[in-house]
Amino acid sequence: MQTAFTRFMLIVAFLVLWIGGIGVRLVHLQINQHDALRDKALSQRRDTTREKQLRGTIYDRSNRALAMSVKAKSLYADPGEIDDVETTAKAVAKSLKLKPADVLKSLKDARDAGKRFVWLARKLDEDAVRKLNESLENKDLKKSDLPKTAGLHWKEEQKRSYPYNSLAAQVVGFSNADDVGSAGIEQSQEENLRGAIIKGWQDRDRLGRVYDESDEDAEREPPKDVVLTLNYSIQYKLEQALEQGVKNAAAKSGMAIVMVPQTGEILAMANYPTFDPNKYGESAPENFTNRAIHDIYSPGSVFKLITYGAALNEGIINPNGQVDCTQGYIEVAGHRFNDPHATKWMSYDEALAVSSNVAAIKTGLATGRENFYQYAQRFGIGQPTGVELPAEAGGIFRSPKTWNGDSLASMSIGYEISVSALQMASAYATIANDGIRVQPHIIKEIRNADGKIFSTTEAPKTQVVTSDTARSLKKMLRQVVLTGTGKRAQLNGYTSAGKTGTAWKYDAKLKKINENKYVSSFIGMAPLENPSVVIAVVLDEPGVGARDGGQVSAPIFRDIAEQILPELNVAPDGSLRQENLTADDIPSELDPRSAAKNEKARTEKDADKTAKTETSDKKSADSEKTKDLKTPKKDPKTAPANDKKGTTKKTAQLIIDLPRNKSSGEGTGENT
Amino acid sequence: MKKKSLPKTGKSDKIRREKDPIPWRYCILTLVCGVFLVGGFFLAARAHFSSIDFGIKNSGLKKQIDDLESEKRRLLLLKEIALSPAELKKAAKKLGLTEITASSFETVRSDDAKPDASPNAKNADDKPKPAVAEKNANDRPAEKNGKDGSSKDKPRAAQKDDRTAPPVKIAKK
Repeated sequence: MQTAFTRFMLIVAFLVLWIGGIGVRLVHLQINQHDALRDKALSQRRDTTREKQLRGTIYDRSNRALAMSVKAKSLYADPGEIDDVETTAKAVAKSLKLKPADVLKSLKDARDAGKRFVWLARKLDEDAVRKLNESLENKDLKKSDLPKTAGLHWKEEQKRSYPYNSLAAQVVGFSNADDVGSAGIEQSQEENLRGAIIKGWQDRDRLGRVYDESDEDAEREPPKDVVLTLNYSIQYKLEQALEQGVKNAAAKSGMAIVMVPQTGEILAMANYPTFDPNKYGESAPENFTNRAIHDIYSPGSVFKLITYGAALNEGIINPNGQVDCTQGYIEVAGHRFNDPHATKWMSYDEALAVSSNVAAIKTGLATGRENFYQYAQRFGIGQPTGVELPAEAGGIFRSPKTWNGDSLASMSIGYEISVSALQMASAYATIANDGIRVQPHIIKEIRNADGKIFSTTEAPKTQVVTSDTARSLKKMLRQVVLTGTGKRAQLNGYTSAGKTGTAWKYDAKLKKINENKYVSSFIGMAPLENPSVVIAVVLDEPGVGARDGGQVSAPIFRDIAEQILPELNVAPDGSLRQENLTADDIPSELDPRSAAKNEKARTEKDADKTAKTETSDKKSADSEKTKDLKTPKKDPKTAPANDKKGTTKKTAQLIIDLPRNKSSGEGTGENT
Repeated sequence: MKKKSLPKTGKSDKIRREKDPIPWRYCILTLVCGVFLVGGFFLAARAHFSSIDFGIKNSGLKKQIDDLESEKRRLLLLKEIALSPAELKKAAKKLGLTEITASSFETVRSDDAKPDASPNAKNADDKPKPAVAEKNANDRPAEKNGKDGSSKDKPRAAQKDDRTAPPVKIAKK
């Protein structure tokens, strides 16, 4: 009995110990090692994912996508999982058309270094992915993901595409390989456009199939879409016209802006040369620059609008008042400003029409330093316009305290000042809008991912001059187009007004202005009564024919305006423009003496170069071209083909000889 | 020493032990519980595996949605590319169409329709005019005419046009 009891107790004790041991072990595993074991279990079945949402889209005002992102796949390898590196490298190289040796080297290097991640190809499109999956398929391999090759995996990425290629390239900008905006709107709106990173997890079964997943953890808000004020059609037409104009004038570069004066909206902003953001790596970096807001230059005679605007608003002059220009020059603080075009008493109307420097200087001097400075500032000179684009230049406009004796005179005709094309376009838009300046802007609205409007741009407005002053100025600008230097800006069917400008450039190399280099511009508006658009065209260093703004920039204005006004449903209010205009019919802004001297020097230089490089046939073509340069008579657009050929070659030489430099706005106030 | 006799352990006829009946009720209860338990396990296992199965299918569908969204976006991109002015131009050229600019048009212009500030208007007829030009040339006099718009000052060419209605624009070949 005793023995039985003892045995029984032993068994019970054993069972208690056994169960107790198990219990203790269970408690230890479930409580003490809970986290470690849970993590271990999760790591066996769970993958963490980090997916970047697609970057926001950039639209034009008619909802055409100017930049959008699509999903793309990138191929990477885990060398540790690859058994036969050489075979895999060969297969991959064959599919991707790469050198097998390069692929093999990168795989081997990574394997030796213990790396478990090597990029093999990035951002491939659907077709390439499909082909690669087919070519790399190993049917014996049990792998749930494609490609069915050991050690190779796809990673979802995104690819930024610009469907309109170079259209508005400098405005839209581009984003780099890491999807970070690097220029233009892409850069300035990075915060809105950037795709949110979504953290998530996926549970996989033993075959690698996902059976549970979650992506609740978003690091930030979903990306927003940006709607621009640009109109793709007007932008295209502007770019085409500008390109043609730059080529015809053999200019170094060109920029143009179309603005709606009443709203400050920029309908188009073009630069030439340009680039394709889809292949930004293949373009010269200087082409990325949005010259219309970044480059500053001495505006020359287009600035006279501000001079006359200040004087008119202060009641110092009236458009029909007479001004004495009989001397043909004016001396201020020992500096002589020549004016060969205006040598008589004339009204301010006429003076602006022929771009008289004497009249403008006298007007500026009568206005006074402080007034002049105040008005220029109110027109937005010397400060960034505030447009939503990166790296906008504010220009150079010194305080009156630092002015020299002749500074006011120089500034009255657009020297000793540097502006951007947008600043000048905005000043003209102020006049077009009855003296109310509306801050230029290029973003219409920002939308949430669900399409709801997040914010709309409301541009601040400022009354700069009275509406009477603005109307008087418009009439004066109309005279420029009808009888003055801007005749080539006459439009078929529409009335137009504007001002030409031709300024010598400051040469940083020479440390003084270079009389051979001009910035030729035309800024105008149409129709006259209630302007629908203000168009600014600026050509940098036109190199052929008459190079003043009225000859090279005004025709571009005309081309653009005649195309876009009907598109904007603007009712025609004008008549036919003058045809058969020759250079002789249009008062030139260039001093004939200095222009002739320059042309002679240029012609001789060209002739020397031509003699060395060209054949005898081409020599004769160049002599014709030289003749044209001396007495420019033809519209560059209608110039014969052989002229164009000759000038193109010459420009290429100019570009090589003279490195690019920005006008610094330190012109001496010399008369052009 | 008194000898203590132990009771006999042999069977007594007087004492009848009751034989325990088979506890069917307990057996059945146990069986039912067992069946419930096993059925529960079975159902739980089935639910577990079907949930995994549904999860797999759900993931597949999610992926499909993602793929379709990507495809939609890709097609949108292709549409935008196809609608870009440069591509349209290329397509038009392939179809044999030629580019028409404003200067590609000749305008039938009346003698009366002269530009307001155009001393060279006579010579201007020799040159091709943009499309907008002819519209104005014909519209303007009409606007200036009498209230009914049928003035005798209406350009002859325009009047002729009204009757015969020929195309005003002539594309330059």
